[in-house]
Amino acid sequence: MNPTFSPLLPADSGAHIGIAGAGLLGQLLAWQLSMKGFQVSLFDAASASSPNSAAHTAAGMLAPISEAAVAGPEVYTMGLYGLKRWQTWLGQLGPQASQCFHRQGSLLVAHPQDECELQQFLADTRCLNNEPDCAINSLNQAQLQQLEPDLSQQFRSGLLLEPEGHLDNREILEYLRQVLQSNKVAYHEQTPVEVAPYTLKAINTAQQWRFDLVIDCRGAGARHSNRGLRGVRGETLHLQTTEVHFIRPVRLMHPRYQLYVVPKPDHRFVIGATQIESEDTSPISVQSSLELSSAVYTLAPAFAEARILEAGVNLRPAFSDNLPQCFSRPGLLTANGLFRHGYLLAPAFVDHLLAQISQSAPSPFASYLPTHHHYDEPVYE
Amino acid sequence: MNNDPLTLYGQSFNSRFLLGTALYESPQQMLDSVAAARADIVTLGLRRQNPARGDGERFWQHIRETGCTLLPNTAGCKSVKEAVNLALMSREIFATDWIKLEVIGDDYNLQPDPFALLEATRELIAQDFKVLPYCTDDLILCQKLVEAGCEVLMPWGAPIGTGRGLLNRYALRTLRQRFDCPLIVDAGLGAPSQAAEAMEMGYDAVLLNTAVAKAQNPPLMARAFAGAIDAGRDAYLSGLMQTRQTASPSTPTIGQPFWHQTS
Repeated sequence: MNPTFSPLLPADSGAHIGIAGAGLLGQLLAWQLSMKGFQVSLFDAASASSPNSAAHTAAGMLAPISEAAVAGPEVYTMGLYGLKRWQTWLGQLGPQASQCFHRQGSLLVAHPQDECELQQFLADTRCLNNEPDCAINSLNQAQLQQLEPDLSQQFRSGLLLEPEGHLDNREILEYLRQVLQSNKVAYHEQTPVEVAPYTLKAINTAQQWRFDLVIDCRGAGARHSNRGLRGVRGETLHLQTTEVHFIRPVRLMHPRYQLYVVPKPDHRFVIGATQIESEDTSPISVQSSLELSSAVYTLAPAFAEARILEAGVNLRPAFSDNLPQCFSRPGLLTANGLFRHGYLLAPAFVDHLLAQISQSAPSPFASYLPTHHHYDEPVYE
Repeated sequence: MNNDPLTLYGQSFNSRFLLGTALYESPQQMLDSVAAARADIVTLGLRRQNPARGDGERFWQHIRETGCTLLPNTAGCKSVKEAVNLALMSREIFATDWIKLEVIGDDYNLQPDPFALLEATRELIAQDFKVLPYCTDDLILCQKLVEAGCEVLMPWGAPIGTGRGLLNRYALRTLRQRFDCPLIVDAGLGAPSQAAEAMEMGYDAVLLNTAVAKAQNPPLMARAFAGAIDAGRDAYLSGLMQTRQTASPSTPTIGQPFWHQTS
């Protein structure tokens, strides 16, 4: 049914590309395309000083094993690619940005009465056993203490997921913004737009812009114009304390909650994240803040005196299979649905999209990230 | 319609497998699992979705795509007031007077609070709801729920999400002997064999969620449960043989007259 595929734009054509949405995907695409010599304009509904993207709310974990446990092995393959790609990309963004990449694995722990959750995790990841680099090590109490001395001693066993890591994501977003400036990407903040082939129209003014190609990466912001897309609420807490030091993400496995704490620069920690099938963006609920704070208190009681700097709420954009998808038609490429895997899957998704745009090389992820052409394009209401 | 329908509150269903819609990897996996289960009724929880503002609408749309009868639940409610309010909201959103009533009494094992459950049941029945109560296997509680007007009882097999199967067979058998109304084992099942056992006991249907949603291949597990539920139902209808103390060969042993048997 699909028409013969042709690249959306020739490479180095100097063509003008308009990108709607300056979240992680929009910024990364703007950066990569500007490096390839395209002229790029980036539009976002929020202001650059108070971003509203899921990428800003996210904890920035790079957890291919943990995510594959709840999403399937393709997330592992694309995630492992993402880990390597981030390292390269951050090197290109400069020595400071390189410091934002951490790869010392991640820990999974469970209360003594919930240790079956660790066994369940091993069962859920058995399909990854033969995948490259998939090292899951069982740890006893002493080994846990050695890796993370501030972890509560009540944990008698845990798992170290060796290939996993995390990013200082807000710092990275800032470095990206700087490089876009120096690459002369035109940044239209506080400019919500309507998306159409070759055209972006400002919603609040009569202004409109013509491009050789429009890329729609508005994330959950596009859900009103795409029936297949939904938002999934996530809530996080940002804490600060000098009393606890973790060098890697720690995840608490509980029968009903799987919450994690991710260390950030300046003695900060992000505790995340709830996952509620709702497009509610109202402030965090008492129930969720109780779950998040009791999880972190369990991991290290010294968190009790940490200060709550921020309670984040945002929507993860998701299609029905919770995997990213792209839709291509002349003049418009729609890319969305990174769900809870933004930082993990963005590199694979971006490289896949770049291959669609210039067809410089075949995408290695064509089988995981099907491109829908005009016969099954998203329905715009 | 087959000749052995499940009838709940006057409505007939082909399937005796009620499936929950939470905990799947994705809505698509949920849809695939419901299809593989051949379920006619699916449950859904709204408590945390800010239902008053309809913020869960896009997810609910996926649940509607199952084509099944929707059975909203009050999962997560810990008081009569919360449960009643949520039931009222569900009735408005999904245009159904059916409610799977849960009032949770313990945070860790999600054990139902029988006292609050009975109170909420009375209040909802007074407001014309058709209540399907998630209850313990306590005979007296079940009697009072029926007296209050419940036409279906949904006792647990084990606490929610534990996968421990039928923990108190004596109590579950007693309920079957004492009540003519439809009985559905709700919660605690982990393996299809446990569902088959409940059906062999004469239970009318099985409701579960975690055992399917948390399997490594949920649609396949849904199919396994569907088969076990059918098998258990057929076994119950066909009449299980009584167990005996002595072995009895199914082929007579020639040359061994019965008067030679010793006790």
